[in-house]
Amino acid sequence: MLQGFILGLSGGAACAVYCAPVLVPYLLGEAGGVRRSGSAVALFLAGRLAGYLLFATAAWAAGAILLGSGKLPLIAGPAYVVLAVLLAIYGAGKPRSRCAAGSSSSIGRRLGGVPWLLPLVLGFLTGLNLCPPFLTALVAAGEAPTLGGSLLFFLMFFVGTSLYVLPAALLGAAGRFPKLQLIGRLAACVMALYYFYAGILRCAAGIEQVIST
Amino acid sequence: MSTNSTAPSRARKIVKAALISLPMLLLSALMLSGGTSGEREMMQIIPVAVTFLFANALFFLMIYTGKTDKYRSLFFIVMAFCFILTFTTNLLERRGSLALTPEDMATGKTPFCHIVIPMTVIPAALTQTIIFPGSILGGFANISSMFVLWIGATLALGRGFCSWGCFFGGLDEFFSRLRKRRIIKDVDPRWTYLPYAVLLGVVLTAAASLTPTYCEWLCPYKAVTEFAAVTSVKTLIQTVIFISLFIALVIVLPLLMKRRAQCGLFCPFGAFQAFLNKVCAFEVKVNGEVCKEKCRLCTQECPSFSLSRESISNGGTRLSCMLCGKCVDICPHKAAGYHVKGTPVAARAGAARMLFIYPAYLFLVTFGGGMISGAIYRVLLLATTGSIFRA
Repeated sequence: MLQGFILGLSGGAACAVYCAPVLVPYLLGEAGGVRRSGSAVALFLAGRLAGYLLFATAAWAAGAILLGSGKLPLIAGPAYVVLAVLLAIYGAGKPRSRCAAGSSSSIGRRLGGVPWLLPLVLGFLTGLNLCPPFLTALVAAGEAPTLGGSLLFFLMFFVGTSLYVLPAALLGAAGRFPKLQLIGRLAACVMALYYFYAGILRCAAGIEQVIST
Repeated sequence: MSTNSTAPSRARKIVKAALISLPMLLLSALMLSGGTSGEREMMQIIPVAVTFLFANALFFLMIYTGKTDKYRSLFFIVMAFCFILTFTTNLLERRGSLALTPEDMATGKTPFCHIVIPMTVIPAALTQTIIFPGSILGGFANISSMFVLWIGATLALGRGFCSWGCFFGGLDEFFSRLRKRRIIKDVDPRWTYLPYAVLLGVVLTAAASLTPTYCEWLCPYKAVTEFAAVTSVKTLIQTVIFISLFIALVIVLPLLMKRRAQCGLFCPFGAFQAFLNKVCAFEVKVNGEVCKEKCRLCTQECPSFSLSRESISNGGTRLSCMLCGKCVDICPHKAAGYHVKGTPVAARAGAARMLFIYPAYLFLVTFGGGMISGAIYRVLLLATTGSIFRA
């Protein structure tokens, strides 16, 4: 348990840096102040925890087989593509109450209508991110004797890493500036392109692995 | 009678311009010669002499006519094309190919480019490494020499670096000046925030992946300098992106807009430099008492989209100003001018301009002079030996 927390603490900065490309544009793009940003970060972290626990279960069930099979890109690749689509919809969509540009898709309208859903989903998809500390945790969790042990390990790992993500809530203060909000939205579109490329390349790598084995 | 009175006045103006240009003559001679007086071959002397004459003729005209951008842009554009020629021939000579191989990267043979600088900050803080496969000290365009040049230029010029130092900027400046009439007249002001978004994106992804993501995925100038050897689907996609962005941002959009589309609407380094305009002593101010905001010529012509009705009413340019001097040149009311921060706006505009263009032009000549003389050398080599490469 303590091992998971320490691993989270030691690799947390890297985890935060991995989450930042998704979280920072989202928080900048929202107008709402620190309190609202705090809720968004909490939802993002909750989504990330869900992603972690899903992986913990898979890691425990498959042991090291999951890692050794080279199939991880087949999980991360589609997750990245979905993440890219969501970021693009968010970036091109209508900022809360201000911008003239309207949300063109029904998905965009639905996401706008359920404000808690997007950070939660973004957090979940980022939770499936294969950053180095996460992979280390995955190996350790895979060696846990019981499912409970694996879940607890990932929970503590999550707590350790989350300490680095929490200050992102302060970005909500930037929401008062419409220009920063616009930059956040545009950055979400740029990130969407990046994750789209990354997702497609991971899918291709995963498929190649499966074919070769 | 009038010809008699204008002749001495013109002669006086020429003498005055020549005297003001004299220090530049000496400084540029020192910079272009590299401070050495040793014996050189004629093949090396001719390119330096031609560059020296070209640079100083332009500077003299700058002083004599009072026009800044007109002569700056000529040197700037020539520098960009000469850079492409010298850079590619140097690479071919040293590496044998423009295509980068993993071995080249592993051995630090990738020349460092200033556009990478914003992406290196967070990874350097986290890992104490520079995320670029170049050489820290030795070799061609090493990391430390580019950092030193960038710091010096930034302190003196701020985002003026983009108009007085960037060896890529002259390419889209060239295409933006080719057509007489612009086809795309109005650009939604929201697009001018895209460079900041690209900056945010590449800085965060570079920190996450510990690779210079802009260079890997988005740099249009890879199309005319060096690129990863196409050995996989990934490198093929990257190459297609580089070429598409180059055609769109450096050729087509500048032609249609008559503005520097890549620099004003996309470049993350430009956005980074815009923040550093705050540390620079110079800026462009618009004197509200003189400007009547009727012609709006400057807002239509500004190559970096840095002038708007709002910024003029606030007395100057937006943060993204590249200090190119175009608005200063074209303002029919002489309302726009260079300004030293902290001094009264209307006071001694001519002196402020001189204080700015001296270091700016000297930097341009020092930085670009080697590229121009290098390109002339290659052309001479081709003419005399039949090969652009040294034996």
